[in-house]
Amino acid sequence: MISTHSLHNVELAFHKAIKANLVRETGDGCEIAAVEGAPVGKDSAHKVLLITISSFVFRLIVIFRIIDNPATRAYYLRADRTQTLDEVFAEVANLCSGALNRELSVNFPHLAMSTPNTLSDECLAFLGELRPQHIARFGITINDSVQLQATLCMCCSRPVEVAEATAATDEAVCGNGELELF
Amino acid sequence: MNPDSDVVEVSGADKRGDLLRRTESVTQGVADIKTLAVAFERWHEDLSLMTAQSRGLNTVGEDLARIARQMIMVSINAAIEAARAGDIARGFVVVAAEVKTQAEHVQELSGDMRKILHKGELLTAATFQDIQAGGKMMMAAISGLELMVKQLRSELDP
Repeated sequence: MISTHSLHNVELAFHKAIKANLVRETGDGCEIAAVEGAPVGKDSAHKVLLITISSFVFRLIVIFRIIDNPATRAYYLRADRTQTLDEVFAEVANLCSGALNRELSVNFPHLAMSTPNTLSDECLAFLGELRPQHIARFGITINDSVQLQATLCMCCSRPVEVAEATAATDEAVCGNGELELF
Repeated sequence: MNPDSDVVEVSGADKRGDLLRRTESVTQGVADIKTLAVAFERWHEDLSLMTAQSRGLNTVGEDLARIARQMIMVSINAAIEAARAGDIARGFVVVAAEVKTQAEHVQELSGDMRKILHKGELLTAATFQDIQAGGKMMMAAISGLELMVKQLRSELDP
């Protein structure tokens, strides 16, 4: 239903969206590494957020998992006492998914994104129930201190072809006019 | 009417009037479909309720598992005490073993129940989000249609 090449392009677009939106300041370090296997067991310190990008022929479920610890709070909340970590991260995840959505809309004009929902950590063990064609998991480290996980779950109902992002969308996502190379 | 034909000749003004009436109908239809947004809002509220329901059931499952664990400990202690008491408590050893078996069964069932609830939580959220995003796709398509009708109307009735 979806070629390896297309999956690679989706992952590339996702990495670009992560690097541009999960960091709070331009220039913050952001390392992304592929991770094998679903997280095991329940951890109440983890917060899981789900966002769906849908087209007529596929749905792409994007999952973010953060750990509620002092490093994450210091990075995302900073001195802000008016918002909770859940609220701030929902905004950040929404921006990141929105960037991926824009990138994919180059290939699929009719594309829309849901609002985020929080899930229990244990739900991640059951992604196979959605009958995805592909699941990709990534570990993200920001400034060598903040650890996050992100998962892409691709479910296709028809053959899907995703071309690589153009320079124009690269500039739009990076926001500063510079091309970001991977 | 043309005397040599059954075909009714329609003037340009009549044609334009008919087209304007049709665009009015399409505009009304589009406005009706757009009220679907209200249904999407309702579904969003429903999902929040379903998620809260599922989490409530999960808490009950966790409580059941905790009670089952305590029952297992109590039954083990009861079996030890019965063994110390000797022949007089032989029947109690059997009862303690049965209590332990049933507690283990409850523990297993509560584990299965929580797995089903977590699967349900994921499937419900993913399905709802797909419907929500699908609704947005539909709204975008309807807005495009609305714009086309508006342009057509302004061309027919400048």
